[in-house]
Amino acid sequence: MKEFEPKIIAMVCNWCTYTAADLAGTSRLMYPANIRIVRLMCTGMIDQKYILKAFLDGADGVFIGGCHPGDCHYINGNLKAVKRISGVRKLLEQFGFDPARLKLQWIGASEGPEFQRHMTEFVSTVKSMGPNPARDCMIL
Amino acid sequence: MHPFAFLKTDGHLSSSVAGFLKKLLTDKIADAVLAAAPTPYSLLPMPTLFTDPEQIEKANPLAPAAPFNTARQAASILKHETGKRIALVLRPCEIRALVELTKLKQCVLENTIIIGVKCLGRMENAVYLEASSQNANLTQAFYDDPVLQDRICSSCAICTRFQPVHADISLSVIGMSANESIGLSAETDVGLAVLKQLGFETCDAPEGRKDAVNRLLEKRESAKTAAFEKTRDKTDSIEKFQRYFADCLNCHNCRVACPVCYCRECVFLTDVFAHDPEVLLRRASKKGMVKLPTDTTMFHMTRMAHMAHACVACGHCSSVCPSHIPVADVFIRVAEEIQNLYAYEPGRDLSEAIPLLVFDEGV
Amino acid sequence: MKYEQPAIGVYICHCGMNIAPKVDVENVAAFAAALEHVVVARDYKFMCSSPGQSLIIKDIRERGLNRIIVASCSPRMHEKTFRKACEQAGINPHYLQMANIREQISWVTKDSNDATAKAKDQVAAAVARVVYHAPLTSLEIPVKKSMVVVGGGIAGIQAALTAAEAGYNVHLVEREPSIGGHMAKFDKTFPTLDCAACIMTPKMVEAAQHPDITLHTYSEVASVEGFVGNFKVGIRQKPRYIDASKCTGCGVCTTKCPSKVISEFDQGLTFRKAIYSPFPQAIPNTPVIDRENCLYFTKGRCRACEKFCEAHAIAFDQKEEILTVEAGSIIIATGFQTFDPTPLTQYGYGRYPEVYTSLEFERINNATGPTAGKLLMKNGKPPEKVAIIHCVGSRDSRYHAYCSRVCCMVSMKFAHLVREKTNAEVWEFYIDIRSPGKLYEEFYSRVQEEGVHMVRGRVAEVTDIPENAKNEGRLTVVAENTLTRRILRVPVDMVLLGVGLEPAKGADDIGRMLGVQRDKDGWFNELHAKLAPVKTAMSGIFLAGCCQGPKDIPDTVAQASAAAGEAVSLLAKGTVRTLAEISYIDPDLCSGCKTCIEVCPYTAIGFDEGRRVAVVNEALCKGCGSCAAACPSSAAAIRHFSGRQIMEEMEALLL
Repeated sequence: MKEFEPKIIAMVCNWCTYTAADLAGTSRLMYPANIRIVRLMCTGMIDQKYILKAFLDGADGVFIGGCHPGDCHYINGNLKAVKRISGVRKLLEQFGFDPARLKLQWIGASEGPEFQRHMTEFVSTVKSMGPNPARDCMIL
Repeated sequence: MHPFAFLKTDGHLSSSVAGFLKKLLTDKIADAVLAAAPTPYSLLPMPTLFTDPEQIEKANPLAPAAPFNTARQAASILKHETGKRIALVLRPCEIRALVELTKLKQCVLENTIIIGVKCLGRMENAVYLEASSQNANLTQAFYDDPVLQDRICSSCAICTRFQPVHADISLSVIGMSANESIGLSAETDVGLAVLKQLGFETCDAPEGRKDAVNRLLEKRESAKTAAFEKTRDKTDSIEKFQRYFADCLNCHNCRVACPVCYCRECVFLTDVFAHDPEVLLRRASKKGMVKLPTDTTMFHMTRMAHMAHACVACGHCSSVCPSHIPVADVFIRVAEEIQNLYAYEPGRDLSEAIPLLVFDEGV
Repeated sequence: MKYEQPAIGVYICHCGMNIAPKVDVENVAAFAAALEHVVVARDYKFMCSSPGQSLIIKDIRERGLNRIIVASCSPRMHEKTFRKACEQAGINPHYLQMANIREQISWVTKDSNDATAKAKDQVAAAVARVVYHAPLTSLEIPVKKSMVVVGGGIAGIQAALTAAEAGYNVHLVEREPSIGGHMAKFDKTFPTLDCAACIMTPKMVEAAQHPDITLHTYSEVASVEGFVGNFKVGIRQKPRYIDASKCTGCGVCTTKCPSKVISEFDQGLTFRKAIYSPFPQAIPNTPVIDRENCLYFTKGRCRACEKFCEAHAIAFDQKEEILTVEAGSIIIATGFQTFDPTPLTQYGYGRYPEVYTSLEFERINNATGPTAGKLLMKNGKPPEKVAIIHCVGSRDSRYHAYCSRVCCMVSMKFAHLVREKTNAEVWEFYIDIRSPGKLYEEFYSRVQEEGVHMVRGRVAEVTDIPENAKNEGRLTVVAENTLTRRILRVPVDMVLLGVGLEPAKGADDIGRMLGVQRDKDGWFNELHAKLAPVKTAMSGIFLAGCCQGPKDIPDTVAQASAAAGEAVSLLAKGTVRTLAEISYIDPDLCSGCKTCIEVCPYTAIGFDEGRRVAVVNEALCKGCGSCAAACPSSAAAIRHFSGRQIMEEMEALLL
């Protein structure tokens, strides 16, 4: 049987984690191809809807990457994301989604190797959880 | 212990309460009073704004029915300072919602007298109308008869926050003989001043009320635990969630009825979710079909994500659902999880910051 | 909403051998060609090259394309390039979307099939998104050719002079009666031992005489309105009660004034008059009347100054005035104040007369100070033994956890001065010596060679209870020498406290007025610790000197010059362009909950009380999206990152 290949949405901020992803590229740091990056200006602009949408559309995992606290390009947008994301995680958990499918991680612009490590780890975590149950049922 | 006063009812509960409200107008303590009253055309009590002391005799705020959570109506009167002093008779869930709406700048609470009802619950509209047809004095009977009390709606049956927080005066029927007298307790200085102006003698609250409250609390707690358990079983997978909301018509009545869903226009009615045909066709192609209108699950989950922290557990979302989906059962349960997560209790305190507006690394 | 019926061109870049052959670019182009609204899809060797760009331009013109996807390197690399190409071809630059298939695909993916599949997804997502792109424009706003510098210490003076030399009008605002700040109080400066006054006063004079600098002394910033390029600053001129246009600065008034008041400038070690100039070289040299201590103002009689003033410059009826000036930029140079060591009761400051703060000791050393520069105790005798305690109020979690950076060097300067002026023994108690700077470590060695005792250990106590009768009347410093692990009890005549630096009083008000955030210790936050050290999150507002954090004179001057450079660069350009990718609040959807106003880090959202809706100030908004995420009805949305654009992109990624 073919191994399960998850599809993971990574919503990352332009200034830190997206830059780290670029750095991972220029450093030729390989990681699994399961990640699909959505570039945002700041994690502080992430609406709960985006996360729900990703899961209802069948994303097996959602990774949110922003600047370390104190380094936000917009002062504290990253901190604004924290509670919003934990709330959505709690909500999804009520309806049978493993809370570990939604991950928030601070990755600074210079942390290319960290980006590679987190992508690799998250892909393997999500792989071990199996497919998002929303994939197999009709979502109204 | 809050100063307490007796309001004699002598077998006329509704008219005694109306008389109390009337005095607020005749003694010029309030310029207007918002209280539930039946209309000339139906027994169903509607939120009614009174300025005439004669008209207020019709008010019946203790009737065990409420077609609305009145917070939205209250907020429309209190949208901005008018220079008028307004008294509002509200249920605890309505006051909680009003406090949340105040935090959201939808109204101002200056210059109000909030009279909170220690609430035994409301019946669904149809149940109330049916029971009223059998009993001309249903309001009085309700407070005397545990069988009638068991006919309250499912959300009220699991409500543990039936005592008003943030009221100036609370009206208490719990642990009292409603056909003799009910209790008026002054919760704030404003409330005490009003009672004094009205000429009430205050005393300590009579013994035994607390026990009655605790007994009710216990009953509600265990009902809630059982109900939550049942709802969890029905919604603990995404597949079950689809089944639960399968008959949803996307009518958005739940969000219209919701007292804390304060948006002028719901995002689901805006351009963001007005899909082009190409998008609908693309969606259909994904699994070979797509139900229209789309975004039903998205709507319910987003509403929870947006407002669960502020849910006051009034249950009106269930009451208005044309498909009889028990929306509130799942909303209230999820809300409690979210509120615990944020250590936030809606309506508890005006100065308690909305959790999403506090930025730190916590939670 | 779709702005025009989309006609999309997709361009897949090979980037030589960097994208192809890992990504099967032809395959991706063929895939893209079949996507909805795509009119043309091509692959090409180097899209960023001039022929690559021409390809796009030609297609736009000839095939009527109005949306462009370039799948190539990171948009951080070439988004500008391709936006320009779009503009050149006559379509809005924001009708471009890039798919990053190099840094985020070909360079990080092992398997070629995986890379190709991923590239297809990202291209499909870009196509789905670009359909809902809107044509965006930004505003070009003219910049006022003047600036305001808040604070007239060395930082403010340096910044003002640099900008004025470039030909811009500078309003230098100082709350004290004279410019000069702390540096004017110092005696010598480390490590070169220049006389502070000798290098400072010429700068002060230069600032005062510069035709493009307007001094506003004895003045404070009262209000700030506007935004980058167009600030309106209200300056509150406190009454001096002297008509500066008539005053000749002869000083007769001061000699005739009968009131004696403790001198702030001399750190309370001497007296001044109620009508006074804080120090002899004060600029301007127009005195001020201290209303609280003037006999005329308090008791209604005296008027000695008025009687003796031949110029008739005394003006008891002078009133506070508010002057409003326009400024293209603002430099904050509000400096610091020294830590008050009174709470550290173990050091006996305030209790023992011979315990001094570093600033007090600067005045004692100064030729214009209380002892005319002679190092004497209060009893008029020179000390025989002096202790210097480092890190007072700094590196101490109870007070300030940070290192104040200057106190080690200041303390060693004092050690040198004591050795130079007297025969006294000097004992320095330090935690670590911090002497990173040009010639600083050398100065440390020099002080050690001069016979100063260096003890590594934080002082436990300064007491007036002597070890033995011989030391009656002296102070004893108790400390552990942590290198020898011995407890020392050193009898001394004088104790100098190397007090730390903290933000100046009033910095919080300035911060609030300007909307510039401060860190947990109260220092102003720079925009970026490394790459934007003098900018702030508020465009057009810059930082100079200690207001941003403790620093010594060389660093302060360097930073002030940098701040002036940034400010001049803004003014020289003449216009500012607002960002295009900013927030917009739909008044038909806004419920007036003001949540967006609370979350906006730039105070860029105002409230229209009439319509009860929030309104974005486009010049202040930086497009962070805090408002959009917090707005449940999506009344607030970020242009180019709207909910619809993002969700379309995501949906296509998950097909």
